Amino acid sequence: MSQINVKTLKQDFPILSRKIGEHNLVYLDSAATSQKPQKVIDAIVDYYSNHNANVHRGAHVLGDEATELYEAARKKTATFIGARIPQEVIFTKNTTEALNMVARGYALKNLTKDDIILTTGAEHNSNLLPWLAICKQIGAKLEFLTITDAGDISLAELKAKLNPKVKFLVIFHASNVLGTILPVKEICDLAHQYDTKVVVDGSQAVPHLLVNMQSLGCDFYAFSGHKMLGPMGIGVLWGREELLNQTEPVAFGGGMILEFDLVNPRWMQVPDKFEAGTPNVAGAVGLGVAIDYLTSVGMENVRAHELELNDYALKQLANVPDLVILGSQDPKKRTGLVSFTVNSIHAHDIAAVLSEQGICVRSGMHCAMKFHKDLDLAASVRASFYVYNSNEDIDRLVQGLYKAIKVLKK
Amino acid sequence: MTNNFYREQLMEIYKNPAHLGTLATPTVQVHEVNPMCGDEITLQLSIQDGKIVDAKFAGSACAVSIVSSELLLEDIKGKTLQEAKQITKEKLLNLIGITLTTSRVRCATLSLEALNNAIKKYENTK
Repeated sequence: MSQINVKTLKQDFPILSRKIGEHNLVYLDSAATSQKPQKVIDAIVDYYSNHNANVHRGAHVLGDEATELYEAARKKTATFIGARIPQEVIFTKNTTEALNMVARGYALKNLTKDDIILTTGAEHNSNLLPWLAICKQIGAKLEFLTITDAGDISLAELKAKLNPKVKFLVIFHASNVLGTILPVKEICDLAHQYDTKVVVDGSQAVPHLLVNMQSLGCDFYAFSGHKMLGPMGIGVLWGREELLNQTEPVAFGGGMILEFDLVNPRWMQVPDKFEAGTPNVAGAVGLGVAIDYLTSVGMENVRAHELELNDYALKQLANVPDLVILGSQDPKKRTGLVSFTVNSIHAHDIAAVLSEQGICVRSGMHCAMKFHKDLDLAASVRASFYVYNSNEDIDRLVQGLYKAIKVLKK
Repeated sequence: MTNNFYREQLMEIYKNPAHLGTLATPTVQVHEVNPMCGDEITLQLSIQDGKIVDAKFAGSACAVSIVSSELLLEDIKGKTLQEAKQITKEKLLNLIGITLTTSRVRCATLSLEALNNAIKKYENTK
């Protein structure tokens, strides 16, 4: 049983008390972006109201305060994900930027023609397109692990596909379409037998699961602040220190140069060499407070709560006629989300009729175009849960679906 | 204009679009996609003496896209290519007759994009 009292906790999120028409808002799109607790909103206002200055620059009080706040957020983030040292945490705009940094700054120079990048058939475009782009540039191959009907990958297939030519294995930690949680530790152990570097898209995992970079054993890991109660515009790239040292910066500008020279300019150490230009200090501060919030709730409680929601949602949705759930039927194999299709009704229409009833879900391909294409699915509906959702929200969803089906069934 | 797309009249069109299907011998055919929601439609035109004599659409599309395609194709039948080219996004949205939310305007205009591309394609191959 989770220790979360949703009724009380919901009051921390101002947006959740708004109405859509005459309906109370039911927000089931946290996998796209989570809502923000008042504490996070206050922290951003406080930063701009009382401490705003550029970091790592002017020697004045505000500059020092801003720098201290920024670096404290880095430290907090490092502790939260079990990084060995805070310098392994690089602040980015989001997961997409972080993954592009690995692809262009590290993978590009460690990849030759005929090498292979192995990935899964259910990656988000942000963890597919950067790799496709460098493969095209180098002439390397992009190969895919099959997604099973249960929404999983097969470790046997992984074993069979790994070989010394596979320089990178690029995987989601938790799928944004299926919710599937991959056994990253086991996967890394297999990959490292061939010295294959493992890059993990953790954007759907960090908000929902307790993650630890030491025990996961991967080489690079990326996630976004806005999906974990933090603000938009702040994300994280974590990498093992020795690999980050070998990674080239992909953005050049203020704050990343140590010594100017036209021939041999010297870059700052990690993380500064990757953070050219004025960073999103307020975003980092907001992320730090979001981490405090999640820590006070307890990530084990977040997980337990979502398991209860998953269990309830899978059972309730199974009763809806013509509804097909994508991926595993086992709530434990998922983070808090369920994607589904309803026979002959387009996902976009379902979402629109739900929206008229104040219920927000995602419809479309969820940026997983390859996955939908492989399954010959035009689109699917995704309901995703977080700490502030309750069984009542799922009841509203199910009632809304019955109405949508009534309106739209041909 | 009302703002409820899912009202009866439009739902009738959605459930029985007369122009859904394929032409035996289309003069020109295009395929368009809307990456936002995964809609894709194939639009076929039969053109004789500069006039659109028949038109069909097919594909996987949401209700807004289906209704918009149906109303557009109904409207262009018998029109010259020049007349068809005059149809603007605003005119099409007027045909549908309801206020669409931001995310649905793209769904509605997919058919118009397809029509314009089909005419361009036809004129380029002439």
